[in-house]
Amino acid sequence: MKNNWLMFLVITVLMVSMSSLAFGQEKPAEGMYFRLVTHGGDDPFWAVVQQGMLEAAKELGCQVDIDLAGSDLALQQKRFAEAVAQKPNGIALVVNDDTAWDKPVEDALAAGIPVIGINNDDSQGPAGNKRLCYIGQSEERAGYMIGLRLFQEAKDKGIDLANAHVAMPVEVPGANYGVVRSNGIKRAGEEFGISSFEIIDGGGLEMTTMEQRETSYLLAHPETTFMIGLGGIATDRLTDSLKAAGKEPGEVIAGGFDTTAATLNGLREGYITATIDQQQFLQGYYAVYVLYLYNKYGFTPNIDTGGYLVDSIEKIDLIEKLSPLHVR
Amino acid sequence: MNSLRKILTFRSSNTLWVFIALVVVFSLFTPNRIFINVRNISAIGKLFPDLGIITLGVGMLMVCGEFDLSVAAVLPFCSYVFARLLFIGTSPLISFIVAILTGMALGYLNGFITVKTRMPSFITTLGTLWFWRGILYVWSKMMPMSIRTYVPNNTPFQLAMAGNLTPFFPVQVLWFLIFAVVLGIVLHYHRFGNWVFATGDNRDAARAMGIKTDMVKIVCYVIVGALCGFCACMQAVRLGSFAATQGVNFEFKAVAACVVGGTSLRGGIGSMLGILLGALIIPIIDNGLILMRVPVFAISAFIGLATVLFVLLNTYIERKMR
Repeated sequence: MKNNWLMFLVITVLMVSMSSLAFGQEKPAEGMYFRLVTHGGDDPFWAVVQQGMLEAAKELGCQVDIDLAGSDLALQQKRFAEAVAQKPNGIALVVNDDTAWDKPVEDALAAGIPVIGINNDDSQGPAGNKRLCYIGQSEERAGYMIGLRLFQEAKDKGIDLANAHVAMPVEVPGANYGVVRSNGIKRAGEEFGISSFEIIDGGGLEMTTMEQRETSYLLAHPETTFMIGLGGIATDRLTDSLKAAGKEPGEVIAGGFDTTAATLNGLREGYITATIDQQQFLQGYYAVYVLYLYNKYGFTPNIDTGGYLVDSIEKIDLIEKLSPLHVR
Repeated sequence: MNSLRKILTFRSSNTLWVFIALVVVFSLFTPNRIFINVRNISAIGKLFPDLGIITLGVGMLMVCGEFDLSVAAVLPFCSYVFARLLFIGTSPLISFIVAILTGMALGYLNGFITVKTRMPSFITTLGTLWFWRGILYVWSKMMPMSIRTYVPNNTPFQLAMAGNLTPFFPVQVLWFLIFAVVLGIVLHYHRFGNWVFATGDNRDAARAMGIKTDMVKIVCYVIVGALCGFCACMQAVRLGSFAATQGVNFEFKAVAACVVGGTSLRGGIGSMLGILLGALIIPIIDNGLILMRVPVFAISAFIGLATVLFVLLNTYIERKMR
């Protein structure tokens, strides 16, 4: 009887020890809940951000949700208010307006909910919005980088840049991303003595309208030396527009943003010289990690995820390999 | 003299005159007459049928007294079905047929809900527009899918959907004309067309005459769905991929084109020639103004203004004819 009790005691101690070991392998952010409040909508871009977010959540063992507001600022603000009411351990917010987010972010921080910026930041950075840090592409720098790459290409070809004209189609005229990217392109242009720039209203996210506008513009403006899509759809339609306007590869130096199949195809065919990959997977991935680390240690790092210049066959091959996995 | 009067009083004649005037103005005043440059005409011809073909069906439905706003969701939904089937190894032709059948099924659903619940079609199809877009986003994760490997260039299917009959005559124009002629014959020279006009003009009177108005409406919705399925495949083959943004804003553009073509928003009035011209006029204004170097930011303002002016003109003529 005594032995039985002893055996029972040993087994119990072993089980408790094993349980403790098991608990020791508990994932670091278990029990935490984070939320990503974005303006995203009809755009595959956000599926990749979400994939990054989910992978980080799986690794850390936390719960995460993402809100897509279809570019509706009022809806995005409603989603943010709902997220705050849920009292999560942190919110990652797309700061896509310089004034609309000032008070909501301050109120959330005052309520003890950490808020970090992702994807798009206040144009004044931390001076314009109190978010704790920012993870995403520096849009101005990305515009500057693509501008430098394309203008250098033209210079190497011996094109007279003093008389060059830069056309920049955009999906949503006035949207923050387009404005800031075009500023970067203009800054690069100034270094090469280029002074003629025009932003073109591409007519929205619909691809046929975009192609129609780009083609018509190219036909009407034979002086166009560069055509730089400010967004993914504007860049996607460049190759077909250039072909429809009767341009040969490299006749108009073209480039832009994001890595859709048509853009990569244009790169292979030589119609597009370079494009910038935002590496948006990292925006979702790092957002979760940074919120976790803020909760644990109070870290608030600023991370620039963008500026990956795609202009070679090796890089195209890499992206085409990762694209079906929703990583690029 | 009599036939001249008949032509002048023909409802879509005002649209025809405006169309001719636009062509003349743009031909004369675009730099180097680039508007009539074969490359420009070819570019318009390749692109406008994406919306134009759907407009033909939407116009017929409007004559029947109903709207379909869900075209902007049915089109990408069918495109996704087409792409998914290609990915699992289905032949392009079978995928194409299934995509069209999917469009027809979604069209039938729109029609069924509208006629059985007596709900205004504006609301029914607004609901299905959001519903199917939501389902599409969840299903596709909004990721584009390249289909170029499954429908390579210069294969019979690719040429039939997005090739050229001659170097500057895109096949899309031929498809647009075929659909316009077939639907025109149905609307104006077939008994079903009479039923469409009667249903749109006065539903109760049409029913009293023995016309199965519910069936007429459902058939019109199914036609719109089939055209969406067709355009979905045609556009996807041209783009070389499925994109979740296919068809965005088509719902309003199609209605605007029909209105410009003289189709009454109250039903019972319209013609296939007018709808065809309406489908051409908006892209022509868009193209012509850009070629005239009007600042591109102003284009939307001109199109909005043109749409309102057409409605005013048609309303005026409608009153004069009564």
